[in-house]
Amino acid sequence: MPRMPLHPAVGTGKINPFAKKVIRFVRYGCTNRPFYHIVVMEAYKGQRQPPTEQLGSYDSRVNVHNERLVAFNFERIRYWLGRGAQPTKSVAELLGLAGFFPIHPRSYMTAWRHRRLNDKQAAQAKDAEEESKEASQTS
Amino acid sequence: MNMFLRKLNTFLRNSQCSSFIKYRAFSSKVSETGSERDPAPLFFNEEIQNLLYTLTRVDLKKVFRPQRDGQQMEPPTYKFLTTRELEKAMKSAKRKAETRLQMPPVVKKRSEVTKIISTDPALESYDRCNYVFTDITYGISNYDRLIVVREPNGVLRHAKWDERHCLNQIYFPMPGREIIAPRMFEQEFLEDLLNRQEYDFVLNRACLQFEPNDPKYIEISEKVYSIVNEKQDFEILRSTRHYGPMLFYLAWNKNIDNLLLENIQTEKIEDAVLFTKLYHKINPTASSVDIAHEGDDIQYLREFVKSEAANKGKLEAAILSYKELEKERQSVAKGIQKAHGIE
Repeated sequence: MPRMPLHPAVGTGKINPFAKKVIRFVRYGCTNRPFYHIVVMEAYKGQRQPPTEQLGSYDSRVNVHNERLVAFNFERIRYWLGRGAQPTKSVAELLGLAGFFPIHPRSYMTAWRHRRLNDKQAAQAKDAEEESKEASQTS
Repeated sequence: MNMFLRKLNTFLRNSQCSSFIKYRAFSSKVSETGSERDPAPLFFNEEIQNLLYTLTRVDLKKVFRPQRDGQQMEPPTYKFLTTRELEKAMKSAKRKAETRLQMPPVVKKRSEVTKIISTDPALESYDRCNYVFTDITYGISNYDRLIVVREPNGVLRHAKWDERHCLNQIYFPMPGREIIAPRMFEQEFLEDLLNRQEYDFVLNRACLQFEPNDPKYIEISEKVYSIVNEKQDFEILRSTRHYGPMLFYLAWNKNIDNLLLENIQTEKIEDAVLFTKLYHKINPTASSVDIAHEGDDIQYLREFVKSEAANKGKLEAAILSYKELEKERQSVAKGIQKAHGIE
C-alpha cells in the first residue's frame, strides 16, 4: 500500500455540496522529487484525503528542454469556479501565467524581486572584476 | 458556453493560419513554402483517389502477408466453405484490404507557429525556465489542443510544433510513437535501410512517428520515393498503401520515365495509360493533354512519351520491343491454332 493512495481522477463521487471547495495542489512524487496533482476538494479536508476531482497536474522539476510542465482541465476548472471553488494562491498564479486568470500580484512581486537580485549580482560581479583589474595593474 | 469558447479557440487558431497563407501569397519574396502549390486538394480529389487506388493493384496475398511488426503471429486456419461462403469471405477480405491500404495523405509542409498571445515585460525573470500549459480537457484532438508557453521574458505564446508533439505524446501517448524520433531516421541508418530495400518498413514507421504535414515526414517519404524510382523497385511498393502517394509524387514532380519504362517492360500497358491520365489530372497545363486516345494504347503511349518523357530513346525502344514481342506472340498463337486445326 503506497503511503498516499492514488484516487481516480474523476473523483470519489462523494461531494459535500455545502462545504467550501478549493482548487489546490496535492503533493505526490516522492522524497526530493515533488510532483503535484491539481485537485478540487473540500477546504476543510487534509491534503491526503480523497479529492472531489482531479483537474490537472504540475511537474515542478525542470525537464531537459528547460520547461516546467503544467496540465489543466480547463473545462472542469471553469465548472468548479462557477460552483464557487476558490483556487489557492499558487494555483491562481499558475492560472495567471497560463493566461486564464489575470496575472497574480504575487507573480509580479516575484519577478520584480528576481530582477532586483539579478541587477545586484551583476553590479557585484562588475565591481569585483574592476577591483581585480586594479589589483593586477598596481602589482 | 464551454463549447462556444472551445469553438472560438479553434476559430482563432484557424483564422491565424489562414492569415499566414494570405500574407505569404502576397509577398513578392520567393519563400520555400510560399512558392509551392498545395497538393492536398488534388490528392483528395475523388477521381485521383480512384485512379491511385486502381493503380495500387490490390494483391490480397501481399496485403495480408505476415508482417514483422512485433506482433505475435497466429497459425493459419483452414476451413471448408461453400461457394457462397467463399464469396462472402473474399468480400470481407477485400473490404479489410481497403482499410489497410488507406493512403497516407499528401499535404503541404506546415508553417511554423509564431503567434504571441501577450507580452508582459513586468513578468521578466519570473523564472529561468519556460512554463508549458496544456489543456487536457476531455475529447479534444491532438491537433486542436490548446498548448501555450510562458517564456522567462514574460511572453505568452502558442507552443511550436515540436513542443506540441512532445506534450501530446506525454499526456496522450500514441502507441508506437516516440517522443524522440527513432535513430533509424538519421542519415546513416536510413541509408542502410534503403540499401536493404526496407522501403515499406521505413514508410510505415515514418507514418506512425510523424504527422503527414511534418517537414520531416515529407523529407523522408520523398527520399524513399526517389530512391525507389531510381532503382525501379516499384514492385516492392505495389499493393501497399504507399504506392498511391509515390505515384502522386512522381507525377507531381514530372519524373515519369522510370515508372513508364517499368510498366512497359513488365507489360502493364493499362497501368501506363492510367498513369498518363493521372499525370494529366495533376498537371492540367502539360503539352500532352491534347493527345487523343484512339483505342490503341501503344500508339497513344508513343505520342505521350514523345511530348513528355525526358529520356525518349529508352522508352521508345521499350515500346518497340513490346510491339515486336506482341507480334511474335500473335503469330505463335496463330500457328498453334493452325496446328490444332481450329482455324
